[in-house]
Amino acid sequence: MIGIEHYVVVSSILFVLGVLGIFLNRKNVIVILMAIELILLSVNLNLVAFSAFLGDLVGQVFAMFVLTVAAGEAAIGLAILVIYFRGRGTIAVDDIHRMRG
Amino acid sequence: MIEIIVFAPLLAAIIAGLGNRLIGNLPAKIVTTGALLISCALSWPIFIGFMTGSETAYVDPVLKWVQSGTMNFDWALRVDTLTAVMLVVITSVSALVHLYSWGYMDEDPDQPRFFAYLSLFTFAMLMLVTADNLVQMFFGWEGVGLASYLLIGFWFKKPSASAAAIKAFVVNRVGDLGFMMGIFGVFLVFGTTSIPEILDRAPEMAGSTIGFLGMRVDTMTVLCLLLFIGAMGKSAQLGLHTWLPDAMEGPTPVSALIHAATMVTAGVFMVCRLSPLFETSQTALTFVTFIGAATCFFAATIGTTQTDIKRVIAYSTCSQLGYMFFAAGVGAYGAAMFHLFTHAFFKALLFLGAGSVIHAMHHEQDMRYYGGLRKHIPITFWAMMAGTLAITGVGIWFLHAGFAGFHSKDAILESAFASGTEMGRFAFFMGIVAALLTSFYSWRLMFLTFWGKPRWIESEHIQHTVHKTPEEAGADTTGGYHPHESPWVMLTPLVILSLGAVFAGFVWSPYFLDSAAFWNGSIFYNEHLVHAMHNVDTWVKVAPGVVMLIGLAIAWNNYIRDPQAPARFVGMFGGVYTFLKNKWYFDELYDLIFVKPAFWLGRKFWKWGDVGTIDRFGPDGAAWVVAQGSHYARRVQTGYLYSYALVMLLGLIAAISWIMVR
Amino acid sequence: MTDFSQSLALIAAEELLTVVGLVLLLCAAWMGDKASRMISIVAVAALVACAFIAAPALCGGLMGPERVAFMGQYTADAFAAFAKLLIYASGIASLIVAPRFFGQVGAMRAEYPILILFAVLGMNMMVSATDFLTLYIGLELNSLAAYVLASFLRNDERSAEAGLKYFVLGALASGIILFGMSLTYGFTGSTNFTAVALAMDGTLATGALFGLIFVLAGLAFKISAVPFHMWTPDVYEGAPTPVTTFFATAPKVAALALTMRVALGAFGTQVDAWQQIVIFVSLASIVVGALGAIGQSNIKRLLAYSSINNVGFLLIGLAAATQEGASAMLVYLAIYVAMSVAGFVVVLMLRDAEGRPVEVIADMAGLSRTRPALAWALAAVMFSLAGIPPLFGFWGKFVVFQAAVNADLIALAAIGIAASVIGAFYYLKVVKIVFFDEPANVVAESGESGVDALAHKVMLLIACLFISPLGYLLTPWLGELADKAAAALYFVG
Repeated sequence: MIGIEHYVVVSSILFVLGVLGIFLNRKNVIVILMAIELILLSVNLNLVAFSAFLGDLVGQVFAMFVLTVAAGEAAIGLAILVIYFRGRGTIAVDDIHRMRG
Repeated sequence: MIEIIVFAPLLAAIIAGLGNRLIGNLPAKIVTTGALLISCALSWPIFIGFMTGSETAYVDPVLKWVQSGTMNFDWALRVDTLTAVMLVVITSVSALVHLYSWGYMDEDPDQPRFFAYLSLFTFAMLMLVTADNLVQMFFGWEGVGLASYLLIGFWFKKPSASAAAIKAFVVNRVGDLGFMMGIFGVFLVFGTTSIPEILDRAPEMAGSTIGFLGMRVDTMTVLCLLLFIGAMGKSAQLGLHTWLPDAMEGPTPVSALIHAATMVTAGVFMVCRLSPLFETSQTALTFVTFIGAATCFFAATIGTTQTDIKRVIAYSTCSQLGYMFFAAGVGAYGAAMFHLFTHAFFKALLFLGAGSVIHAMHHEQDMRYYGGLRKHIPITFWAMMAGTLAITGVGIWFLHAGFAGFHSKDAILESAFASGTEMGRFAFFMGIVAALLTSFYSWRLMFLTFWGKPRWIESEHIQHTVHKTPEEAGADTTGGYHPHESPWVMLTPLVILSLGAVFAGFVWSPYFLDSAAFWNGSIFYNEHLVHAMHNVDTWVKVAPGVVMLIGLAIAWNNYIRDPQAPARFVGMFGGVYTFLKNKWYFDELYDLIFVKPAFWLGRKFWKWGDVGTIDRFGPDGAAWVVAQGSHYARRVQTGYLYSYALVMLLGLIAAISWIMVR
Repeated sequence: MTDFSQSLALIAAEELLTVVGLVLLLCAAWMGDKASRMISIVAVAALVACAFIAAPALCGGLMGPERVAFMGQYTADAFAAFAKLLIYASGIASLIVAPRFFGQVGAMRAEYPILILFAVLGMNMMVSATDFLTLYIGLELNSLAAYVLASFLRNDERSAEAGLKYFVLGALASGIILFGMSLTYGFTGSTNFTAVALAMDGTLATGALFGLIFVLAGLAFKISAVPFHMWTPDVYEGAPTPVTTFFATAPKVAALALTMRVALGAFGTQVDAWQQIVIFVSLASIVVGALGAIGQSNIKRLLAYSSINNVGFLLIGLAAATQEGASAMLVYLAIYVAMSVAGFVVVLMLRDAEGRPVEVIADMAGLSRTRPALAWALAAVMFSLAGIPPLFGFWGKFVVFQAAVNADLIALAAIGIAASVIGAFYYLKVVKIVFFDEPANVVAESGESGVDALAHKVMLLIACLFISPLGYLLTPWLGELADKAAAALYFVG
């Protein structure tokens, strides 16, 4: 029998993967965007699982909102990335450190 | 009325001090001098009122000050005979000194500051003498100390002036510690600092004992001695006298006002104010007598060898204060106050006269380079002559007529003899010897300054003025320099004070010495002693006059008839001369036992305690930690996205760990 | 409870902002950048109108069920109104300073006021949210607008980098906060603050604790509290200065108000769980903010660290977890907004002879001799930020410390006061450079003229008057409003 804890564990693993993806990756900012999507996926999984488990619709509604916002967020992220690339000609994570200290 | 007398100088000081360059020299001078003239004009009617008996003592409350548990005291102005005497002394001398300073300080760039300090001093002094409780007296006490410090160091660019100011302040601290402990002790014993209450209840405490420094000692003796230590500091008595000669670094009007006429007499005033308290302890009185007698002799001996005109007068002041103290010590408080009163006039006169001489001699203070000034500055000469006649006590005993000092000093000596105690006799003989010395050094000062041939060219000040060396000047020992009489603003005070020096003793001796009604309980009045004083043997009455004449004769012999005599004396008694010339080596002794160890200790504290410990682990350490922290904080801020994310994640993990293990 | 029409009436300000924002967006699309001034003016007018809607709610101290809209999703109480007024003021300030700044580089675009409007709308929702769902929508609406604003100078590398960093880290923070919300939802069965608080009373399941920590961590990012502050200096430095002005003020207010609402409302039954963490975070923010600011050469970066430092002091009020603490925080926030606006307006007014912005602190050396008024304003800001009496910044710190002491957090208050000494160092260093160093003669000797320059001066004057000792005249009034707002926050009905 698959219980709620399984869902939570899976989503936690996804969350950790996403977070690790953000700071282990030194190559490409696109990967960071994907990692962020992974985090949002874990959240959605959680919400839907809890919703089903609790028999409460709010979680699923919440998940729909998250999906929508995630789409907007990705769009804006990519837009900023394009601007950045136009200016610097690179999107390597290691190159993004003009401002520091 | 009394408020105006006390607070007008304060107001003037504030205006002149804060206004300073904004309002300029003349307004500052007008405001301060005007305020003092008003105070003076209002003080005399009060004094005369007490003389005629039309005034009665009262206390004028000003403000609530402290109410803390059982400790209550207020700002209040006490007016009685004793205060009235001090009021006229302070305001008169202060007003004259203000006026005199118009001329003396004319070329000084900082005049508003000077006049503000003078007025501030006057306010503090008035506060001291009108105090109704010991704390207010202490306020005035410290206030005059502050003003004295500021004025000694008025020419603060001169290192010696700054050093003298600091010395005066530090030495006075020693006395103030005693005074403070005395006040604490009084509060401990009586539960109040109100002077009338203390004096009322002092007799009933006589004979009781108190634990002090681990010993059982007589309460009253301890209190009186502690308070008297304060008086010793302020009045430059033997042991704590070292600051007074150095204080001559201040401008001469300051010396006249503060270090001759008023502030230094605060100690005498305090002993008289608390005379019923002192009367309860014979030990304390004996001590007071001893210190006074010793000082009057000791200071007079030094005065005979000094060459700086102001220092001679400073040691003379010290010596005269000794007279006042031993008068108080034998119970003749009236005589002490009388001498204080007359001394204020003739000593201020001598100082201002000396100032006038210095002014005429282009700031040369060394008497060896004076000589023959009598004809050049006649008014100053006659004023100084009046002062000298007063201080040496010239008078005719059977006519009972003489200069101011004759009345007061002789009364003191007779009282000392009449007291009948051994210490009284000791004081009497000391006083007689001191009177001889006083006469000698006073006439020495006069002869060196006003008689003989001019020796001006040997003075560097004069050399600079006439642009000649002694060799170039040749036989003309004046160097072509022409001393000028001081302006009238300086001479007017001299003339007025001369009148005081001549007549003050004659006019007021019946009141101060013989009238219990005049004092009206404001000091302890020993009727018996006054009676005995008038009935001492004739030789006692004649002795001061005789020694005065002897002193005059020696001085005349040494400085007029045979100018080589002093050199021969020095040749014969070189040791004695050097000993006196070096002021009994007090400064050197103190340097050895207090100053050097204190410096050593201070340096150790500084090196080990301050730099090594406090700075190292305190400010410097903290600054180092901050600098390092700043360095690391910026190092962490690498600019890389992943390190930012890592820090966030570490924070998150830390929070979770904390909440799990909690 | 209110019905649907009443709910709509309660969110009048948000509706106004939405409609105006959308209409202006159309205008921008239609008329292009030359309409930007008109759009800015309309946007300012809209914000002023919103302020008039919020003011009665604050002055009346409104609270309770009749101010709750959409069945517990939203509230328009005095607390929200207090925060909204500060947000509107910040929004208006950043709208007014924009044309002159962007005009210099030819980049005044019509989108700027619209983005500000939408960001303000998002923040309105944040401070009014009483449900995690509303919270999330408001947060994201604000964040998305903010990402764009940060990279608004498209041709400026620093601006693009600031936008990118802000976006990535902001998205991560959003993920963390969302994950926390999902856990909270799962373990309490609700997303409503009141229901969450009820469900959390007593011993808490580990999952719910995780949720609590994640949510608060995400919020800590938004208020840039240590250790979630790392983005702040870079973004403040890189973003165009009007945008930095906005970031330093409005989102700070919104996020702090939101944090208070969440911590004291939704997690108000679990104060013990987060109080220690908030204490640590507040001290860490004070210290790191102060340490980081030392040695900065860019004034915007210095102000960024200063804002981190100030957030630390604000969090002392939160750590107290009392109504007095909340009130103190609101007072501090109001003063903080004024100080920040004044500080950034000074920075915006610093131009060299060619009209380029001056951001390097060393270039301001000797400013007191060439531009005394500006130098004194900067000194006032710095002294106020350092909390030196008699400037008004001291009052903010004072009330916060007082609240902490009254909540028996004496050690926290003592350490906070001690740490503020470090802060004084770099503030005073700026004053020293401006007043005592040899003039660098970089800043233009005379200010510009024209209506925009005048607007700068008027704003600076108002802000400086507020933070000057005259501000103390306002303390009774400000304290009363803050008390009303805090009472609304603590309303239990």
